[in-house]
Order: sequence, then structure tokens, then C-alpha cells
Amino acid sequence: MLKANDVTKNFNSHIALNNVSLSVTEGQIYCLLGANGAGKTTLINHFLGFLKPTSGEVLVNGKNVMNYPLETKRDIAYIPENVMLYGVLTGLENLEYFSALATGRKKPKDLLMKLLTDVGLRPEDAVRRVSTYSKGMRQKVGIAIAMAKNAKALLLDEPTSGLDPKAANEFSLLLKKAAENGVAVFTTTHDLFHAKETGSRIGIMRSGSMLAEFSSDDVSHTDMETIYLKNMRD
Amino acid sequence: MTWLIVSREIREFYRDGRFLFGAGLIVVLFVTAFLVGFEQRKNVFSEREVAQQLDYDDWVNQPERHPHDAAHQGMHVFKPIPPLSFVDPGITNYVGSTQWLQAHRQTEVKFRPAQDATGLQRFGSLTPAWIIQMLGPLLIIVLGFNSFSGEREQGTLRQLISLGVPSWKLLVGKALALFLGALLLLAPLLMLAFWIAFGDVQAGDRYDVLIRLGLLVLGYLVYLGIYIFMVLTVSVLTPASRISLVVLLAVWIAGTILAPRVLVDVARMVYPTPNQVEFNAQLNQELRKEYTKAWKEHFGVEDRWGTDVPLSRWGEALQVDDQAGYNAIDRHFGALWNRYDDQQRLQEFFGFVFPMLSVRSYSMAITATDFSHHRDFAVSAEQHRRLMQNLISSELVEHADGQGEHHFDYKVSKAFWSRIPPFEYAAPSVLFALQRSLNSFAIMCATLLFSFVFALLSSRKLV
Ligand SMILES: Nc1ncnc2c1ncn2[C@@H]1O[C@H](COP(=O)(O)OP(=O)(O)OP(=O)(O)O)[C@@H](O)[C@H]1O
Ligand SMILES: [Mg+2]
Repeated sequence: MLKANDVTKNFNSHIALNNVSLSVTEGQIYCLLGANGAGKTTLINHFLGFLKPTSGEVLVNGKNVMNYPLETKRDIAYIPENVMLYGVLTGLENLEYFSALATGRKKPKDLLMKLLTDVGLRPEDAVRRVSTYSKGMRQKVGIAIAMAKNAKALLLDEPTSGLDPKAANEFSLLLKKAAENGVAVFTTTHDLFHAKETGSRIGIMRSGSMLAEFSSDDVSHTDMETIYLKNMRD
Repeated sequence: MTWLIVSREIREFYRDGRFLFGAGLIVVLFVTAFLVGFEQRKNVFSEREVAQQLDYDDWVNQPERHPHDAAHQGMHVFKPIPPLSFVDPGITNYVGSTQWLQAHRQTEVKFRPAQDATGLQRFGSLTPAWIIQMLGPLLIIVLGFNSFSGEREQGTLRQLISLGVPSWKLLVGKALALFLGALLLLAPLLMLAFWIAFGDVQAGDRYDVLIRLGLLVLGYLVYLGIYIFMVLTVSVLTPASRISLVVLLAVWIAGTILAPRVLVDVARMVYPTPNQVEFNAQLNQELRKEYTKAWKEHFGVEDRWGTDVPLSRWGEALQVDDQAGYNAIDRHFGALWNRYDDQQRLQEFFGFVFPMLSVRSYSMAITATDFSHHRDFAVSAEQHRRLMQNLISSELVEHADGQGEHHFDYKVSKAFWSRIPPFEYAAPSVLFALQRSLNSFAIMCATLLFSFVFALLSSRKLV
């Protein structure tokens, strides 16, 4: 569903991605681990067509992102590190707007409200202007927007940043449910434990290179810790 | 999808208070301008009708006297005020609205070169047209300067793009939202003008006024449309809203404040027109030549009005003299007026860069307050003057010349005065206005198309 083939990205002389290849199939949850500046966001931006690879290609559902910018976006839902919303609109209105744009039709209010409460936003907060929201609340609206799109693939850039443990847990459950329904999930994280818990496949990245890839079932907790620390240490 | 975008934009305008503030201000200005303009118009309107009637009464009630004395007294004619002049007075306030039809020469009061057709428009006064031309773009800038840059700063642009919203839909949605804002701006104009069109105008003129109103709204929408796409383009291309605002304000100042003034001077430099003294001197010189030639041909004399031509031929001499002058007058005024047209056209042409220049002349043409309408009136008044002169001199040839030495003792009966009809001027129809505005309208449409395509191209790469 999501595929990167030998993607290299240079920002001037800086190599942000170095021959990165990976593939996320339907029903898989791929967790990409990496320190700050490893190139995780840069990779996600390639799937969204925000960046053009210096070499290599990025495919969504078999289509090259650069050649089919609109079609490939229709198949993915995206949650950034910091979900950005319209401050003068309420959470519900933001969800209504973005989901209608994503799917081409307006969803009924009560359905939208249910989506918001499902991700843990209180109904009384849903009708307040987003300018009064905390980061976690905005993140929840972002998750609801992504869920409402019913996309074939989810691209998540540290989606749980700012979420309290309870909400983060509920979100993991949501991801698992989505994967069971055949959605391909690609998520970045710094949270080793979380990656092991939710991910079916785990990648470790450093300075733009993919260092290791393995199935989470193949390794134990302690193994993973060792691998991670080994690869993260300079 | 597009309407979703439109409605969100409008909700945002409304919620952050910008729209209410901007539109409220403009509506207040509008209403003031209308009330002032309308009040003035009403006063002048009734005054003129009365004055013209009184003047004609004076003419008809002259005592028995030599008709040429009467011709020196002359007749005053009054330019009718176009019904929509309160929307755009154009050059109305700068050119005379009265013309004195008297013996021997066309009056030039209303052509004081300080008031030539283009120089007049240097300064705006608080009229509805001025508000739309100046403040309309400003309102659009205030509403739209951050439409893309703001979303980019806010981060919502990426969110939108990641959803697979095509950039052209965003552009069209945002443009439509601004367009609705512009319509709202024009709404008070429409309503008040509508009210006046049906309240004040004679039934026969109603359709004419309505068509003009429609054309006016169309023209202003095209004008504001140009600014809408210009604003959106700048908002796409600038990295920050602050920069976008600064750039757009500079564009606004250049396009609505500087360009109109500078181009008046440019037009004058390219097509210089004589000042009044020069013009009169040239005209008089030309007239003298024509007179001398005519007197020589007809009477074989060098001296105009000399004793060589007997009083028994005085009426005939008047006829010859008048006829000789007509050509020179037509040529001179014609050349001057054509120059004004050239200046006007040059300015219109710069509407490609500064749309205000074309909309200004479009608006004046449609409201019948531009120079070509004034010219039409002036020509018609001059024709009436010639009618008066010709009737008087033929009367003299028929009856007074026969009295020989006693030519000047001849007095016409009072009945003669009413043989000269009152001046009735039929203002040109909307077709005339259309013809006059075609050029500026075409330029505006081309500019609109250009700015749309440019916005479309620049919005292709949004992130
Ligand atoms: N537009 C850009 N221009 C220049 N360099 C960039 C650009 N975007 C990213 N980089 C660089 O590329 C590298 C990878 O950045 P990236 O944002 O992908 O890291 P990350 O793995 O997402 O880090 P974090 O965990 O902090 O989110 C960094 O060194 C960053 O400075
Ligand atoms: Mg990142």
C-alpha cells in the first residue's frame, strides 16, 4: 500500500534521507523509530507529495506520488505532529469542514460528534473554538479527521505527542482496529514501548538511513531495547 | 466542495470581525455619499428646469427690437443631469452645466483647459463611484491578504492539501468568498440606485437607467474581480501574511492613488493641449483668416464690417460672416476635443496595469458623465445657437436689408421670438454609452482573465 524505493533526499548538501526503502502492506502497523532529526518527518512528507525525492520513488497504492498528487492523497489520511486547525471554528466545525473536503460530502452532526467522543474529546469541548484548545485536544480532533476519511492508509507523525496516557492507549486500540479492517498504518514515534505494543513491524532510522527492520513478534522487549540503544548511540 | 470552502471563508471573515468592520465602514460612507449626492442633485435638478424655463420666457417676451440685439442677449441652455450622476458625477462638476448661446461665437466657458477632460479626475470626492474604486480594492485586500499565507502560517494549508483538495478549488473557493464580499459591497449601491431609478426617473427612462445600472454593476464586479485574483496571487506567493499585506498595500497605493494622477500628466505630455489663452488666440487667428477670405469673396473688401459694404447688405454680411466662422469653430473645437479623447484612451490603455484607470472611464461613460457625453451636449447646444443665428440673419436679409440706410430701425414683432424653439436636448441613449465604454470594458476583461490565469498558475504549487 505504501512503498518507498531507494529514496534519497538532499537539502542542499545535507542528506536527510539516504537510500531508504520500506513497504507497508494492508493490515500492517509500521512503527518508525528514530532520534530527532533522523528523517522521519521528511519521509512522511514524501508520501504526501510535499517533498520531491532527489532520487528514488514513493508509491501509494501502486501510484507514484509525484505523478498522481490528488489520487494518492485520496487514499491516505495524515496526522501531523502538531495538528493545525482553524482557531475561529469549533472542534466540531473543523472536523465537519475537513472531513467534508476529504470525502466530498457533509456528514451528519451526531456522527461527527460520536467520532470526537470516540477519540476522547468531551462533547462540551467539541463545541468550543479551537483557539482555546490544548495540544492534546487538537491532536484528538486531528485523529477524528483522519478516522472520518476512512482512508486505505494512515500516515501518522508522532500522533500521540501531547496525549495523556489514557488517550494514547485508546488511540493504540483505534489503530489496531483500523489495521484489522485492512488499513495500512505508518507511524513514527520515539516511544519504544509503544512501538513494540502496537506495531507489527518496526524500523529504526538514524541520520537518514534505515538501520534495522524487524517484526515485533520476532524480538523480545529486552532485545529491542538493546537494538535501539545500540543504533541510537553515536 | 467549493461551496464548503466559500462558506468557511465567509464564516472566518465574519467571526474575526474584519468583515463587519470593513463593510460597516463602507456602508456608512456609502449612505453618506448617496444622501449628499442625491440632495445636491435634487436641488440642482429643479433649479435648472426652472432656470431654463425662465430664460426662455425672457426670450419670448422680448419687446419688439432689432433681432441681432436679441442674438447678443442670447439664450442660456442647461445641461440635463444624467439620472445616475449621483453614483458617478464624472466630470460634471468641472465642466459648466450652462451654455450661453449668443451671437458670433461658440462660448468656451466649459472648456477651460484647466478642466480638460482628464485633468479633472485628479481628486476624488466622496461619491459612490469613488468609494467602490478606491475602497473596494482595499476591502478585498483586508479580507484576502492572508487567505493563503495565513493558512500556511496556521498550518491548515498542509492539512487541506493532504486531504487531496485540488489547489484550484481552494483558489476558486477563496475567490468566490471574496466575490461575495464584493457583492455585498455593491448591494447598497444597487438598492439605492434601484430605489432612485423607480422613484425619480420618468417612466420612459426607467429601462435605460436599469440597463445602465446593470452594466455598472457588471463593470465594477470585473474591476473588483481583478483585485480579488491579484490579492490571492500575492497571498500565494508571499511567505508571510505581513509581507503579503505590505505588498498589497503598496499595489493599492500605486494603482489607486499614484497611477491615476501620474497618468493624467503622462497623457498630457504625450498629447499636449493648449491652455485657454493659447486656444483662444489660435481660434481667433483662424477665425480672422476665414472672415477675411469670406468678406473678400463675397463683397470684394478687405475690411470686415467696414463702410464699403452698405447697410442694405448688413443682414447678408451677417450670414456670410457666421457661415465663415462655423468651419473654423468646428475644426478647432473638434481638434481640441479629439485630443481629450486621445488622452482619455491612453489612460484607459494603462488599465492593463492599473485597473482603476479603465474602470473610471467605464463608469463615467455608463453614467453618462464622461467627456464624450459632455461633447454631445456641447455640439447640440452649438447647433441650437446656429439655428438661432440663421433664423435671425435670414429675417434680416428678408426684411431689414430692404430698408437700406434704415436697416437698424427694423424691429421684429414679438411673434418672431417664439419662432426660435426652446432648446430641447435628448441625452444619448445607453447605446452611445456602451459604445464609449467598450474599450475600457474589453481592457478590464482581459486584465481579469490575465489575473485569473496568473493566480491559477501560481497556486499550482502551494506547499
Ligand atoms: N526543508 C528542509 N530544509 C533543510 N533541511 C531540512 C528540511 N526539512 C528537514 N530538514 C533536515 O532533515 C533532517 C531530518 O529532519 P526530520 O524533520 O525529518 O526529522 P525527524 O526524524 O522528523 O525528527 P523529529 O523526531 O524531531 O521530528 C534534519 O536534519 C533537518 O534539519
Ligand atoms: Mg518529525
